[in-house]
Amino acid sequence: MKVRGIVLGFALLGAGGGLLARGATRIGVHQGYAPEQPIDFPHRIHAGDNKIPCLYCHSAARTSRHAGIPSASVCMNCHTLIEKQTTEIQRLKEAVQLQRPVVWTKVHNLPDFVYFNHSQHVVSGVACQRCHGAVERMDRIEQASPLTMGWCLGCHRSEAHVPTSTFARVAANVRNRPTPFAGEDCTSCHY
Amino acid sequence: MSTGAMEPTAGTGPEIAPATRWIEGTPSLHRITTDISRPMEAKPGRGWWICFGIAGAAVLNLLGMVTYLFAKGIGIWGLNNAVGWAFDITNFVFWIGIGHAGTLISAILLLFRQKWRTSINRSAEAMTIFAVMCAGLFPLIHMGRPWDAFFIFPYFPNQRGPLWVNFRSPLVWDVFAISTYFTISLVFWYLGMIPDLATLRDRAVSGIKKFVFRILSMGWNGSQRTWSRYEIVSLVLAALATPLVLSVHSIVSTDFATSLLPGWHTTIFPPYFVAGAIYSGFGMVLTLLIITRQTMHLERYITTNHLEAMAKVTLLTGSLVGYAYATEFFNAWYSGNVYERFHFINRATGPYAWCFYLMVLCNVLTPQIFWWKRARRSIPLLFIASILVNVGMWFERFVIIVVSLHRAFLPSGWGMFYPTVFDVGILIGVFGLFFSLFLLFIRALPMIAMWEVKGVAND
Amino acid sequence: MTNRRPSCEEAAHAAPGGGEPLVQIGLPTGTRSTGFDATRRDVLSLMGFSLGALGVAGCRAPVQHAVPLPTASVEMVPGVPNLYATTCGGCSAACALVVKQRDGRPIKIEGNESSPLTGGGTCAAGQASVLSLYDDARLRGPSWLGNPVSWPEMDRHIRTALGGHSDAREVVLLSQTITSPSTRAVLEDLRAVFPKFRHVVYDPMSLAPLRAANRLCHGVAVIPHYRFDRARVVVGLEADFLGTWLAPVEFARQWAQRRKAGAERAFHVQCEAGLSVTGSNADLRLAVAPSDLGRFAVALLAAVARRLGDEQPAGLDASALAQETTHAAAVDRIAAELVRSRGESLVVSGSDDVATQIVVARLNAQLGNIGKTVDLERPSWQRQGDDAALPALINDMNRGAVHALMIWGANPVYDHPDGAAFRAALAKVALTISFADRRDETSAHVHAVCPDHHFLEAWGDAEPVAGQFSLRQPLIAPLHDTRAAVESMLAWADRPADHRSVVRDFWRRALYGRTTPAPGGFEDFWERTLERGVVEIPRPPVATHPFAGDWEGAVRDIISRGRANRSGAEHGGGYELALLETVGARDGRHANNPWLQELPDPMTRLTWGNVACVAPETAAALGVATGDVVSLTTEIGKLELPAFVQAGQQRRTISVAVGYGRWAAGKAGDGVGANVFPLARVENGARRYWARVAIAKTGRRARLAPAQTHFSMEGREIVQFEHVNEHEHEHEKLPDLWRERLRGAHAWGMSIDLDACTGCSACVVACQAENNIPVVGAEQVRKSRIMHWMRIDRYFEGDGEDARSLHQPMMCQHCQHAPCETVCPVLATTTSSEGINQQVYNRCIGTRYCANNCPYKVRRFNWHNFTANDDFPYNMQSPLGRLVLNPDVTVRSRGVMEKCNLCVQRIQLGKNQAVLQRRPMADGDVATACQQACPTGAIVFGDRGDPDSRVSKLLAGQRAYNVLEELGTRPNVGYLKRIARKEST
Repeated sequence: MKVRGIVLGFALLGAGGGLLARGATRIGVHQGYAPEQPIDFPHRIHAGDNKIPCLYCHSAARTSRHAGIPSASVCMNCHTLIEKQTTEIQRLKEAVQLQRPVVWTKVHNLPDFVYFNHSQHVVSGVACQRCHGAVERMDRIEQASPLTMGWCLGCHRSEAHVPTSTFARVAANVRNRPTPFAGEDCTSCHY
Repeated sequence: MSTGAMEPTAGTGPEIAPATRWIEGTPSLHRITTDISRPMEAKPGRGWWICFGIAGAAVLNLLGMVTYLFAKGIGIWGLNNAVGWAFDITNFVFWIGIGHAGTLISAILLLFRQKWRTSINRSAEAMTIFAVMCAGLFPLIHMGRPWDAFFIFPYFPNQRGPLWVNFRSPLVWDVFAISTYFTISLVFWYLGMIPDLATLRDRAVSGIKKFVFRILSMGWNGSQRTWSRYEIVSLVLAALATPLVLSVHSIVSTDFATSLLPGWHTTIFPPYFVAGAIYSGFGMVLTLLIITRQTMHLERYITTNHLEAMAKVTLLTGSLVGYAYATEFFNAWYSGNVYERFHFINRATGPYAWCFYLMVLCNVLTPQIFWWKRARRSIPLLFIASILVNVGMWFERFVIIVVSLHRAFLPSGWGMFYPTVFDVGILIGVFGLFFSLFLLFIRALPMIAMWEVKGVAND
Repeated sequence: MTNRRPSCEEAAHAAPGGGEPLVQIGLPTGTRSTGFDATRRDVLSLMGFSLGALGVAGCRAPVQHAVPLPTASVEMVPGVPNLYATTCGGCSAACALVVKQRDGRPIKIEGNESSPLTGGGTCAAGQASVLSLYDDARLRGPSWLGNPVSWPEMDRHIRTALGGHSDAREVVLLSQTITSPSTRAVLEDLRAVFPKFRHVVYDPMSLAPLRAANRLCHGVAVIPHYRFDRARVVVGLEADFLGTWLAPVEFARQWAQRRKAGAERAFHVQCEAGLSVTGSNADLRLAVAPSDLGRFAVALLAAVARRLGDEQPAGLDASALAQETTHAAAVDRIAAELVRSRGESLVVSGSDDVATQIVVARLNAQLGNIGKTVDLERPSWQRQGDDAALPALINDMNRGAVHALMIWGANPVYDHPDGAAFRAALAKVALTISFADRRDETSAHVHAVCPDHHFLEAWGDAEPVAGQFSLRQPLIAPLHDTRAAVESMLAWADRPADHRSVVRDFWRRALYGRTTPAPGGFEDFWERTLERGVVEIPRPPVATHPFAGDWEGAVRDIISRGRANRSGAEHGGGYELALLETVGARDGRHANNPWLQELPDPMTRLTWGNVACVAPETAAALGVATGDVVSLTTEIGKLELPAFVQAGQQRRTISVAVGYGRWAAGKAGDGVGANVFPLARVENGARRYWARVAIAKTGRRARLAPAQTHFSMEGREIVQFEHVNEHEHEHEKLPDLWRERLRGAHAWGMSIDLDACTGCSACVVACQAENNIPVVGAEQVRKSRIMHWMRIDRYFEGDGEDARSLHQPMMCQHCQHAPCETVCPVLATTTSSEGINQQVYNRCIGTRYCANNCPYKVRRFNWHNFTANDDFPYNMQSPLGRLVLNPDVTVRSRGVMEKCNLCVQRIQLGKNQAVLQRRPMADGDVATACQQACPTGAIVFGDRGDPDSRVSKLLAGQRAYNVLEELGTRPNVGYLKRIARKEST
């Protein structure tokens, strides 16, 4: 009786502690964050149904740290030709006429002491979906991955020395040493 | 150390010298109980209130300053690019050192069968606990950002990959060493109190007091069986605690010994620090006991013989410390290393030379008076000496830390450390914390192990 | 390494649809903000918030917004830095620059490697000038009689005040040297509009006597273009050409070319009163009091003449002249050296005495240097001030002859001895206009303040040296409601035009014709020049004649005055106060730039203020110690300064830096130090930069703010020497118990040449700008809490006048066996696979153990929150000032350790570029900020894993060594020993 009580007590204690620890390690992880946007832009229609390549709109991802959100003018490249009109598209056109930028809500936020460079990953052949999830099936964009350091290191550890085709070419050039780009050095991301 | 027991004692009959008596007179066991539990049952006197008032004020000051420190950052201290540690780590090492006497007395002396420990071990252990608590403050506040302190504990799972701590860093060793030492000391102290707690439970009149002591004494029934197991457990714990006494300060000393700074980078630090720690620990025990035995009228149980025995330990460890100082200088000269040589010349002639000489005066010269029996048995002398010892030991840490840092390898990086009001305030505040804890202790718990004293009462 | 763009007109002009340009410029996609409103102020405060909020990890962050450009831009991709060539406006040297623009904000100044003059070097002031762009003290718009007005109103006021142009009242433009050819052309046009238009030029640090001497000796009042790179022997007479004199960046580069030339290494002699950057680098430095400088020159001339067998100055024999100077023996040796390398030697003097300059001109003529190291036909336009002109102008103003006075880039009330008189005279002028960018000492007393653009907002051009042109283009749309001074003047002359077309038209009209026509015509030429920044357009040589000056007269003059001086010295106070310019303060125009105020002066290592440098012997005689306040009394007046005991100072002299003691510069600059410009009085047509002075102790003490307090090496081998013509010795490698640490694709390393490093400190400011290093203020510097990652240690060898001063750049040595690494409990500092000792700010918990264990003491701790604590009201506290921060570098919060990380953000960028371009990284792909800034190329960064890289070669050489090598830390940063010439030591 007494013994059972003690055992039970310890069991509860352990369970509680475990839950607490799990909760603690989830602090600041916003997986599943899907805020409302000023214009209800459905990626499903654009990237999914119409198969517009990600890099057509997010062209900066090829060259810049930031993937960048396309300027309204880029949207107009198509929407000047498409007659289908919705209130959302109307909003967009207003923005273009007034030359007022659309203020989107940022979904994927990294702490300011982390330096993630889109171009490095895009050029290395990492598919956008690897981190952003199946965007082409999302109506409202949502943070698919935890974006924690452990999660980054997951790839960096497993693939650091198994370069993709682009990597292979570059790595071969860099005096046949392992490719430096997916290293585990702190300064790969923190500086 | 065991000589303490064989010394003939003055005052007892001139003809044949019997073994030292560790209690004056032959009080009945009941008398012992009442004497010792009086402080807990009587109302505190004015003296106590005054002391507690002062100490409490210091604690409030500590709280205020630490809060401000967390808000503003450690820029409010006098630290700088040249001297990255000063009062903070000095206090840390100082208090860890103080925390040595307790467990030494109760554990090692228990193993050595030193009877004279019986009436001082309880308060000495309490002092240890409080000192380690004070010491533990500093690693936390000296970073200025306590909310990040958890980084120093290795834990899993963490979302960083996982990212562990640097097991090569002495600071990590400190975390383990000190927390272990604290836990063991606490357990040892509490375990030692259980029979007395039971006594108090039985004496208690008010219901609430009874209730509390009943919980604390864990249903102690004083049966033969309980006692025999109890003895075994204490012995086992003593065996466990003994190596810790030596390990803690050895590890703290590696904070310095493993660095490459002249004045830090030396192999004699572990024994040197342990000796110093026991030295300062006994100094503090002396100070406390001399006050309490006077104010609490416990002269009968804390006799001059006790004080004399401690004076001898002080003399021994003090001389060890002095020897270590000499060795450092010899090594510096013998090594021929320009940086080492410069450092020790600077220690003795540089801007902080006065600290060095104060340290030598207090730590090496003061205890030498204990070669004379009269000195060992003179309460005033003992008291003054014990104070000086602690002043000296504080300055020893200051000299080791600040003087080594302020003039290191590149002269372009040399600087000076000047304490600010916050450095001094926190130093005082922590003393306040220590004393208020001790004052509460002597009110709330038996400051002398009744059951052990009874053991030596009538031999 | 980054997109080098021809021009950024898009960024600078045509805010689409009239929207606020900064909306698209200021807020990069992905910047954290809490909402959005298209007013500039808000955007700035958002920027402020975004950067201030750095370091917030963990718990749920505030909702962030992403604001794309309204219209997509090919040129401006958020997050991708662009580089644009332009021209520095920091001083009249007009160095060619390449400025790094990130998300539309200029954030870093670099030297333009295409420039044949500077070759990519910069100076400390130039590096810091980007911060002045974001200075809060800048005026937000024009003001008339102290009230803000719009530009049209302003123009109306001024037009009415000017009255009709026809009448013959004098319109005067007072400015410092203008090196812009297009502007000079505009001024010509103004003459046509205002019949009695006059342009008065003066320089606070004037070289008028040099020009006067050349007029007398060679028939042209010009400053020759010196060629230190062609000189095997250089003799500098009170001319700090490596630090502050005329065109220090260019000269340092030339000098270094010779310095590194091995056997051809130049022999450099420097004579000066106070220790200067140049003096500390000379092979032979002689302490000469200003009053003796002339006699030294004469003695040198006599010695040279004797060796050449030329005529001696009549009535004076060489031996007697030799006695005129205390350095007779040295003079003879120098003469020998000079004569040995005739035509390949160079004597330069910054003396304020025409006679001395004539003697120097004679020396160069005798040695056949004219046309070789002294180019008079293609002179320098970098100093055109006429010392006599300003006093004359003040008279005219008082006479009421001046109807309108325009003041441009000049601040006479502060930097001229007649400042007070000038200020009084302003009242007598009907219309006074200032183009100053702030309410400074002068512009506070004029009718109209029409703020000019900062040079990073402006168009323009420059011709610092005849035939060497460079263009200036805006890097950002004007932050405030300012207008180019040229546009203002043209507007008032009823010839409104925008500055860009003014410059363009001038180039098409006046310069394009003289170039080899480009295939694409002018457009093509213009675009290419904008991109390259500099262009060489030959111009007909200035007509000069061989030396024909009355040098004997000059010699006699000098001798007689010298004797008078000497007797005067025996009777009077006997001390001379010599003014000098420091690399940080220069002439005081940058006084409100906290980066420069906190830049430790390489010679004294002091920040935030100037001091009276006193020789140790003198100090002993006077019983003065460093920090004692002394009073210096001259015939002009008395001022009090803290004394600083400076080895190398000439016994009879006291040196004080100009450029301090501003009272209307701004928050950072006001009341720092004391102003000694008033002592530089105008005497028979030239400003004197020294004066007789009586020095006395006041008994008070001042608290200096030194970055270094101990100057002896204590016999430790920190700065090491290589003795020339010493036999080759093999540098024995110390044994190492540890295995090789570098496993990565690269092994980054750096080499610092102590023989080429002049100590000019450009690298220190460059590092501060690149790495978002906070300014901490005098009080924290006093507590030795300066934050600079790179410092330039200064040590003395020997003592007294002959003390040799050594500079050693010191930053994180990136040890392979780093003592800091083992002691950090949380792995916040580790050695990367590529040899970088990496500091991870967000992991650091601030035990400071690493700093304690660092033998080089290069680690810096954030004792306070310098970005949010009101005790530090510098640029990081101001929404405007924060715009200068580098978005690629974390802004550290309090309680965090930091230090040099070899500009890892640049390394990452370089790697990324390589990947994007599908090529391996090449040597030189990555240049650290300090390396890029260095005018002498003393710093070389690269991959030690590549045996052919420059750094590998240098560190394999026999001059290479590591500081504190015996500790076995195996640093990746190595030093090249300083070369000591036997005869000079």
